[in-house]
Amino acid sequence: MPSRSCKLFGADAFDVAGLSSRPKFSMQEEFKRDPKSLSKVFRFIDSFFSKHHLDSSKKPEVLLAVEELFTNVIKYQAKSTKGITIGLTKGNGEVTIRMIIPDTEAFDFTKAKDPDLDLPIEQRRPGGLGIYLTKRMVDRIEFGYRNRITTITLTKTIGASDV
Amino acid sequence: MFDIRLTERGDVVLAGRFDAAQVEKARSVFDTVIITSAVDFGGLEYISSAGLGLLIATQRRLKEAGHELKLRNLSPHIRDIFKIARFDLIFKIE
Repeated sequence: MPSRSCKLFGADAFDVAGLSSRPKFSMQEEFKRDPKSLSKVFRFIDSFFSKHHLDSSKKPEVLLAVEELFTNVIKYQAKSTKGITIGLTKGNGEVTIRMIIPDTEAFDFTKAKDPDLDLPIEQRRPGGLGIYLTKRMVDRIEFGYRNRITTITLTKTIGASDV
Repeated sequence: MFDIRLTERGDVVLAGRFDAAQVEKARSVFDTVIITSAVDFGGLEYISSAGLGLLIATQRRLKEAGHELKLRNLSPHIRDIFKIARFDLIFKIE
């Protein structure tokens, strides 16, 4: 089941680009800032789950959180063509996903207002759902911004028996 | 890998991973749906907000004409996503 409450940490909670800790990533790769990169991002996450024999039932939640943030960057940070680096590591019953996005404007999505999902279909407006879903898919989100570099760290509990 | 097709009855069958890069492919099929139809999620492993946006836009268009989409065979993960997005208020989920 997706996490029901996600801990959010905005940029002002950290002094160095939101990095409260610096895990050593077991896999890291840079991807072009293009929707066509999604298939490569998914293959990268697939191979991480396979390599570490992780519970595959949790994989769609990780894919969803990463896709929503990746596509959000493409949509709202479109001026730059610099690649997005994704790092993955595991430990202590958790998977940590870090996205490093250079040449960005500051946008702390952890502070974005959640969409009103109780509205009838006629009144629902696009926008905000992807970030809302991301918050629900992971247990912890840290956002950092320094020198035009955005750093997003997601933590997802997979379970001690799976990791 | 994502696949979408229409059955002879006019229902939509989805399979694979429906991510943001697949929206235009999916739109080309959903745009042809003009009456009440079922969407079979039996082969779908994954959907993101981009796919959800297309579903809600199609549902809005059909409802304006007195029709709707009905959703079938959702996996537990996708059913959870629909509950979180409160799509259970907007679609009949069988």
